[in-house]
Amino acid sequence: MRLSKIHLPGRTGSFILIMGAALVYGLLNAYSNRLLLPSAPFIALRPQVALPFFLGFLCGPWVGFLTGFLGNVIGDVLCDYGVWHFWNWHIANGLYGLIPGLGSRLGLQEIRTLRRFVIMESVVVATNIIAVACAVLADLLWIRIMQLPQSLTSWILPALITNTVLTFVLVPLLLLAARMIVVTVETRITLALSWLMVSIVIITATAVTGAVWNDLDSPAASVRAFYSAGIVTVLVVSAGFLIAVFLAYRITDPITNLQAAARRIEAGEYHPSELALLAARSDEFGQLSGIMQRMAEKIEGRENRLRHQVTELKIEIDRAKQDRDVREIVESDYFKDLRQKAREFRTHSEDERSTTREDDTDEQDESRRL
Amino acid sequence: MSKIISIHSFRGGTGKSNTTANLAVSMAQRGLRVCVVDTDIQSPGIHVLFQLDPADMGFSLNDFLWGKCEIEQTAREVFSEGSSGAVFLIPSSMQTGDIARVLKFGYDIQLLREGFVHIISALALDVLLIDTHPGLNEETLMSIALSDVLLVILRPDSQDYQGTAVTVEVARQIEVPAMYLLMNKVPDRFDRTETMERAREAFRCPVIGVLPHSDDMMALASDGIFVERYPDHPLSREMAVIAQQILE
Repeated sequence: MRLSKIHLPGRTGSFILIMGAALVYGLLNAYSNRLLLPSAPFIALRPQVALPFFLGFLCGPWVGFLTGFLGNVIGDVLCDYGVWHFWNWHIANGLYGLIPGLGSRLGLQEIRTLRRFVIMESVVVATNIIAVACAVLADLLWIRIMQLPQSLTSWILPALITNTVLTFVLVPLLLLAARMIVVTVETRITLALSWLMVSIVIITATAVTGAVWNDLDSPAASVRAFYSAGIVTVLVVSAGFLIAVFLAYRITDPITNLQAAARRIEAGEYHPSELALLAARSDEFGQLSGIMQRMAEKIEGRENRLRHQVTELKIEIDRAKQDRDVREIVESDYFKDLRQKAREFRTHSEDERSTTREDDTDEQDESRRL
Repeated sequence: MSKIISIHSFRGGTGKSNTTANLAVSMAQRGLRVCVVDTDIQSPGIHVLFQLDPADMGFSLNDFLWGKCEIEQTAREVFSEGSSGAVFLIPSSMQTGDIARVLKFGYDIQLLREGFVHIISALALDVLLIDTHPGLNEETLMSIALSDVLLVILRPDSQDYQGTAVTVEVARQIEVPAMYLLMNKVPDRFDRTETMERAREAFRCPVIGVLPHSDDMMALASDGIFVERYPDHPLSREMAVIAQQILE
């Protein structure tokens, strides 16, 4: 069954969507402070951060921006931080929706190829970095609450890493649910492999850090533990993603090539050298390409033969037989007699036909006049 | 100056009767007075195209040839256009006895000729079209001998080539003043100009047209005249060009 993409709301619908999403985002922000990552005691685990990303990709930059921005305002108000105290983080959260919204203009309305999937994940990572960088810059220039480099190492980098990993994993899932990611062989393999990698790493890291949690004797030791776990996570997830992309590419690239070749065969524009490289592979794709190559050659041969019939319209006449047949007729007495009569008719017919015709027309004219 | 035109094909199934009927209507649409004579006594069919009821046909060409009636009594108007354009039809007899008699004794050429001359003047005809019998029998040779123009129809089919070559040569020996080939039912995969050129070389005879194998025409089959129903169809326009060239 073919499922259609979810229906996008109009102007009023967008307003309701933004308000609803911002409220959800704010409430989750306010109450997720209790959910702490074992390895980073000062950092809230905030899976809801994927929400503005998702709405940005799905509904465009403004819906994404307002969801993130208003959601953060609501969260801060509920936590008694004051409405505008951390305004730089309102903007950072707004950017979480705005940048993916702009990114969807890069042809991301429908993700069905590996290329677009990689672009989407790159937008997710880049958005995390840009948003946090903007917030830090605004603090340095105007707010001046942070104390560098302590703030950076104690909570900004951990927050960045946590959010990046979370959005990297969750945003594709939400997009898949909204059918913006179309399940093709390429996206299926990439999703499955990258998810496998990420889950293994997160489960291992959580288990290991959880096991040594009680042995950590100071906040400094916790931070160090977080860093080890975090850096390993980022490295392995990155490596895993690259491997997934590479594997997916190895599998889907021949399919894409075969598809393109088939399309050109259909259009009659196929060139035999196209599949040569692919046919040299020893695996199943090589065999399939070989079959297609031979098939294309046969089709071309058949088409050429058909096309040549145009010029090969041969009118073959057995001249000897023709002469015999003609002689048999023209040498008969009947024919000679007929030819003689025909000659006589022709010599007379001219005047005869024209005179009778004239007489006749005269008569007819006469009768018409009468 | 009126013209007698024989339309012939060596084998059956070339679309000869259909082409004859369409050429006749095409000429009448240009204001000419045309009479179609069906001499294809062994398998007469052109009256079907003009939707003439066999039971209601009255006198036929055979009745005239055997002195049962005057030639004028055999012709009936089957199509008219404007003030002058008209097609008359002289049908062939459908009686089995008549058919056997013609096969046995043939026609009297002198009488046939007198009949033609007479009907031309009686109906003030511009054109007399003779739908001949396939093959090269005596009646066919007679029709060709009486004609000013011979139009030979063939299909791009090896079986048509040999017989057509013989027909063309025999017609040349009988000194018919003008002769044209018309290739009919030509599949799309053949290039038309090329086909025309090759036929002209092979038969040493001008080719007046190459008509495609038309599904539209096939759909109408032998139920009505194509150029009458679809006067603006490309095929009808081509038919008009052929009609004009024959008469020039």
